[in-house]
Amino acid sequence: MNVQIDSALKRGRGYWFVDGFIEMAGGGLLSLLGAILLLSGKASVSTFPDWFLSVAGEIVLAKLLGILAAILILWWLKDHFTYPRTGFVRTRRVSGRQVLIILRNAILFLLVPMLGLLSASLIITSGNGVLAAMPEWFPVALGVVWAALYVLGGEWLGLRRFRWLAALMLLTGIAVGLGQSVIGLPAFPLHVQAGTLPQQPVLAIIDRTLINLALLILISGVILISSGLVTFLRYRKANPVPYAEGS
Amino acid sequence: MSGSLQDLSGLDRVIHEPARLLLVALLSSVESADFLFLLKESSLSRGNLSVHLSRLEEAGYVQTEKTFRGKIPHTEYRLTPNGRSAFNRYRKNLGALFVSKKV
Repeated sequence: MNVQIDSALKRGRGYWFVDGFIEMAGGGLLSLLGAILLLSGKASVSTFPDWFLSVAGEIVLAKLLGILAAILILWWLKDHFTYPRTGFVRTRRVSGRQVLIILRNAILFLLVPMLGLLSASLIITSGNGVLAAMPEWFPVALGVVWAALYVLGGEWLGLRRFRWLAALMLLTGIAVGLGQSVIGLPAFPLHVQAGTLPQQPVLAIIDRTLINLALLILISGVILISSGLVTFLRYRKANPVPYAEGS
Repeated sequence: MSGSLQDLSGLDRVIHEPARLLLVALLSSVESADFLFLLKESSLSRGNLSVHLSRLEEAGYVQTEKTFRGKIPHTEYRLTPNGRSAFNRYRKNLGALFVSKKV
């Protein structure tokens, strides 16, 4: 019975994900951001500040408009499709104390191991070596962070498919990092004096890291859309007929 | 009667019934939910669900709000603070029953 009660608690928490719409909307937003990053082109040393500001502006605008559009679409879809089939649920408000606990756990579980790994790599190799290898390790590290978030979120919400999503995010991060290893890193001087880092190689590293980040975001978006679509089809099959309370 | 059996008799009878326990557990993880959600998740019949919800309402554990969504009647149920604390107390008491005591 205790197991059933636990699953009942989780079903309430994870109800927002029952129809796959949130994953599809989130995946669509991620794909849009990834595409913006991929299509933003390359900057030279002289045009980098303007280019960076322009891309950052586009991303912020796309995020704001995308989130607003996603909320409106989700609201309409849930009102017309989900609530008539499996009912309406108002989620609990998160208190300030709970936000602090979530933040504390996120720091403990994610940032501390990441900082440990980064510190260890700084000790083992030179600082320049870490910077030079950023296009390789950054997607892997981000894949690890996302995978951890999906596992924790999946456990909290009682959604098993989040484990698969976590595994796919992790594999995507590793694949992008490995892909970069196979292609080869941009040339970067490993022994330079502090404060005299050459701008062009640093820019090449940042550029390659951003391309890999864009790829990771884009693929993750497609994974989320696919997961949402499968969830939606299953949900529709399991709940074909809308109910009316009076019937 | 042993100590743990006395504890068993002290369990909240309103919540202890399996169907009501499930309903309270479902409602405890959300702010509120409508009749259809509870019907689908509990797999109870409409009549049975209504009876159990009425019983919980009588005990002061559940609060009902009747509105309309368009022309369709819409009833939302939420746990009262009293119901939430009763559920937490029940879980605590039930858990304590399974803690083995060293002799």
